[in-house]
Amino acid sequence: MAKYLQTTSVGSFPKPPELMAARARFRRGEISREQLQQAEEAATKKVMDLQEELGIDIFVHGEMERGDMVAYFAENWQGFSESLPVRSYGNRYYHKPIVEGTVALGDAAGLTVASWQKAAQLTARPVKGMLTGPYTICDWSFNAYYPDRRSLVLDLAHLVHEEAVALEKAGARYIQIDEPALSTRPEELDLAIEAMAIVTEGLKAKTISHICYGDFDTILPGLFDLPVDQLDLEAANQNYALLDLLARHPWPQNKELALGVVDVHTHRIESVDEVKAGIRRALEIVPLNNLLIDPDCGLKTRTWDEAAEKLRVMAQAVQAVREEEGLE
Amino acid sequence: MKTTIMGSYPKIPAGPGPSVRTAIQRFEKGQISPEQLYSTYESVVKRVVDLAADAQCDRTTDGQIRWYDLFDPVVRDLDNVYSAGLLRLFDNNFYVRHPVVTGRLQYQGGTLAAWSREAASLSRIPVTIVLPGLFTFLSMVEDKNYHNEETLLSDLVDVMRLTVRHLADTGIVEVQWDEPALARYADRWPTAFVQEAYQKLLALEGPLEQSLALYWGPSSPWLDTLAALPFARLSFDAVSEPAILDRLASHTLPASVGVGIIDGRNVRMEDAHQVVDILEPVLRRQGSDRVWVHPNCGLEFLPPDRAAAKVRLLQDLKTLING
Repeated sequence: MAKYLQTTSVGSFPKPPELMAARARFRRGEISREQLQQAEEAATKKVMDLQEELGIDIFVHGEMERGDMVAYFAENWQGFSESLPVRSYGNRYYHKPIVEGTVALGDAAGLTVASWQKAAQLTARPVKGMLTGPYTICDWSFNAYYPDRRSLVLDLAHLVHEEAVALEKAGARYIQIDEPALSTRPEELDLAIEAMAIVTEGLKAKTISHICYGDFDTILPGLFDLPVDQLDLEAANQNYALLDLLARHPWPQNKELALGVVDVHTHRIESVDEVKAGIRRALEIVPLNNLLIDPDCGLKTRTWDEAAEKLRVMAQAVQAVREEEGLE
Repeated sequence: MKTTIMGSYPKIPAGPGPSVRTAIQRFEKGQISPEQLYSTYESVVKRVVDLAADAQCDRTTDGQIRWYDLFDPVVRDLDNVYSAGLLRLFDNNFYVRHPVVTGRLQYQGGTLAAWSREAASLSRIPVTIVLPGLFTFLSMVEDKNYHNEETLLSDLVDVMRLTVRHLADTGIVEVQWDEPALARYADRWPTAFVQEAYQKLLALEGPLEQSLALYWGPSSPWLDTLAALPFARLSFDAVSEPAILDRLASHTLPASVGVGIIDGRNVRMEDAHQVVDILEPVLRRQGSDRVWVHPNCGLEFLPPDRAAAKVRLLQDLKTLING
């Protein structure tokens, strides 16, 4: 692994056409669950091979078994039902979970472990264990049962903690707990922090939280109190305006920043030079030892080729900065 | 008591039927023609206006079916503005392409009028077109030209007046300005600033009613300021701020009052009898014929089955209140 400016990804990768076809055939009852899983594993291998080829430092498994980062947990845990699709933007829809009872792991304890283990066996590089945070699961579900958001968030926090512990026991050295909804309600930042403290309590793995598409101005510097080792934030989407916000506060020495340098919601492929410029701007604010580089968000919104090309540009830009700064 | 839906509506059906989602997917794969895609949009707009009419709503919107988001047709109709990267729409898991202003705003028109004309021609009941309010636009815009909010706002008022003027002959009856930004950021703009901007916007003579809707935050801070303006209707979000009902039960407003009492963002169904009980003091104070009941926001944040159920709930409320 590189010592400086380590590269990684946020989580999801686009599902290759073969897997999309397998998922459609499974829905129609034309193939078995085992056959679907084989297709998911083949797609995971493709994700791992791409990261290997590009020299990415910290891998993700690509979430080939998940349709949506919240719905995946809701489909497997107790207390949820599934709604008809709801649009999130453009022509993107998701089955927004409905909380209709007390949430519980049921027989799905260790839900994410098997897919992580299978991916980890394919590489010598570290692979992140990927979880969705309790605040986001609550925020992106319809609550038709709990009397208030707080009680639902805290119940979910205990479930996510159990999942994190299971990943750590399986050998995960990096555990990412995504909280993209965290910035939506500044008045609930304390609740999100309280919930994350439950999730990460006692973990020895490096903990990461990805947060995106929010009004960061309203939650800084409080966000620095989120009890994780690394914040993973989008920057390219807003032409690095995030860095201007971050520059207003001293960067906490005990926190890493994984900086998003390619926009995952545009077909346009960034140039190496513009990504390099973004990295250099970040280095003016965040100490070199604390900075990692990745895309803005999960890559599943892009085609496979676009995702691969964006990662390639990112890797090339990072390598160029390392060489130019003598960081090899 | 009158009823209406508010803005956006799901673009997909609860069961069989035309779906914008499927049509776009098939269009992108080359499986349907541009004409077939256009027709699908038209069919879905028809489904929305028919649903509202069947539920005996007094007005409907076009469901914003052709719209990418709240800002879409406004951006299309202006020069020196383009839609850029996704931004979260306030506290929703819903994202809009935020407008970027690169030069002085110029009105060109065309898109919104065409879409409005289509909705009016398809609808059996009067149509309201819902547009981003001045301050909601300001809250999401990326300004690369003016670097001065006051100057930008001044031109924005001007192009929005042109927008309203060019909707006058489309067959719609009302323009509603949506202002979630005012509800969410009560202290961000001085009241005099807001009042002056809307005074200029409303000074336009014309056949269209103009109303304003506050949602996703407290309406109370703006009640007196907005009540002093000649809006045809002021709509308030009683889901986000139930206490607004006490204000509306104790102060008569000069404009018609819209009560957003049906939660447009939660699948939990309201009990019609309970809602009627809650509304009773407002109806008594404002006068039943001056009160509109509606969801607190557009219903696109719900799955289509629940959205339709909430529209039908409007009919139940109307029956219970009006008999």
